[in-house]
Amino acid sequence: MTSAGTTYTCRWCNITSAGATTSCPGCGAPVDIRARVSDSGWVELPAIRDMARIQFGQSSAQVAGTWVPTVDMNLAPGDSVYFSHHVLLWQDAQTQLGTQPLKGGWSRMMAGLPLVMMEATGPGHIAFSHDDPGEVVAVPLHPGTALEVRENHFLVATQAVTYDWAQSGVWFTTRNGDDTEWHYPVGQYIDRFYAQSTPGLLFLHARGNSFVRHLAQGETILIKPPSLLYKDPSVGMQLHVEYPRAGAATFWRSWGNRYLWLRLWGPGRVAIQSSYERMEDPGSGFSSTSGHTEYAW
Amino acid sequence: MTQGDTRFQTSADPSANERRPMTDVSQRIECQWCHSQSAVGSRSCETCGAPLDIKNLVSDSGWKEAPRLRDMTEIHFGSSTCQVEGEVVPVAEINLGQGDAIFFEHHVLLWKEESVAMSVMQTPGGAKRAFAGMPFVVSVANGPGRVAFSRDASGELVVLPLHPSMELDVREHAFLLASHTISYSFIRIQGLRNILHGGEGMYMDRFVTNQVQGLLVLHGYGNVFERTLGAGESILLEPGAFLYKDSSVTMDVEQMKLKTGMIGHTNLYLARMTGPGRVGIQSMYVHHGSE
Repeated sequence: MTSAGTTYTCRWCNITSAGATTSCPGCGAPVDIRARVSDSGWVELPAIRDMARIQFGQSSAQVAGTWVPTVDMNLAPGDSVYFSHHVLLWQDAQTQLGTQPLKGGWSRMMAGLPLVMMEATGPGHIAFSHDDPGEVVAVPLHPGTALEVRENHFLVATQAVTYDWAQSGVWFTTRNGDDTEWHYPVGQYIDRFYAQSTPGLLFLHARGNSFVRHLAQGETILIKPPSLLYKDPSVGMQLHVEYPRAGAATFWRSWGNRYLWLRLWGPGRVAIQSSYERMEDPGSGFSSTSGHTEYAW
Repeated sequence: MTQGDTRFQTSADPSANERRPMTDVSQRIECQWCHSQSAVGSRSCETCGAPLDIKNLVSDSGWKEAPRLRDMTEIHFGSSTCQVEGEVVPVAEINLGQGDAIFFEHHVLLWKEESVAMSVMQTPGGAKRAFAGMPFVVSVANGPGRVAFSRDASGELVVLPLHPSMELDVREHAFLLASHTISYSFIRIQGLRNILHGGEGMYMDRFVTNQVQGLLVLHGYGNVFERTLGAGESILLEPGAFLYKDSSVTMDVEQMKLKTGMIGHTNLYLARMTGPGRVGIQSMYVHHGSE
């Protein structure tokens, strides 16, 4: 029984609520489960319960489904959200759709990023989903905070959140005959979301399960580059290469027996997803990189 | 109330009612998904397998989540049974009774007992079907014996018992199996825009029941949701998400021009579904405009 005056602070988003519901109204995380922390310190993001509601302003979002969850938004008059057009699932006929201008259209097209950022304005319902089994991750952004998200994981955000994108800064080149081939282990660009003066809400889609950990100042971790979901801007990242021990046959090093890692260092949060696409590595030697470290076992 | 239906019978003798046990074996409970009736105490609907002890999940906007069938749930049709196994990529295992049969697209067949006789359904327009990318052959498995089916992606099995005189249109390749009491045909999607931009191809499968109830099992990618539209009520869908609809629901693809710069634009196509009737969608799909 919840007595009057009881408050509950969500351990995921730090938003305080009455605690009268089974889910946090700020991020949808269940309120009555313990944190699941692996021995190594990764915290499993709790899956948002089926039909959990998240409130933002006069509007609300409901997460429905478990395999490929959908975000079903009930937009109040005048409230709006923006999204990439390929995640739109359905909408009420009365919901108004428009587009948002995006800078660098040519660069985005060349990088395989969506060209169109759409905007939906209430009143009305509109729903979104991604085309992979996984989880919807709701990230409330407090005023003055930002988040960097790996490209193609953004689902929808409220208007209080500004969107920008920048070079990821992690790349290497290889030679193929006379041609130079460019490789971007975490994508060429990274999405940046920022809540300026009012709180905002950001929905991401993670493939598989998602885990988060807080890196202390100077603490590092190596992750597979495509597994990155999001990170705080304060977390640095760089390419790291390991060459396994190959005995006398050290020439193997020159044709591909290597591991490509993303080195992340704190302070700040970093989130990963358990399912990710295969990373293409031609195996040939680097001709140039964005800066990397290496270690031979 | 039909003869023999004892659902609402009470005895004229009050003392007889007092002697009646608390659980009346003649009482039935109605499934909220398919509206069939099962015996009191059943955990799952005998006709569609939906859990009876779990409330329906309905979103604020009115979408009803397809019931998550429990692992090993058994469904009855005719003298046969269908058991749903697994949860990530569920398998429908059919135990066909003597004289019963089911039909299916051959690529969803998972395994069968050697005794199960196979035949081919006569479908009209074979060349058109092949040209449109629909299976040229619709296979039939005849009882007795066991045969099992699954698709190649994570998702849900949607069991739709078709009551007599129902017509249902299904996205091509989404149907897993149907009982032989259901008539199968296919309809051409009307309008060039609907064909080119609707994301459903040229044809939809149509399933019709006559006098006898039949069983239709679909596979939806991701999660499946259903909504019932009132007469004249409409909703806009990403065409790739469409899974099934009552034949009374009309579908028209609408084009939206989205400006992408000073002179450029791209097109967004959404399917306007107008009631009355049911519409089913799947939450995982390939966005047809981004391929």
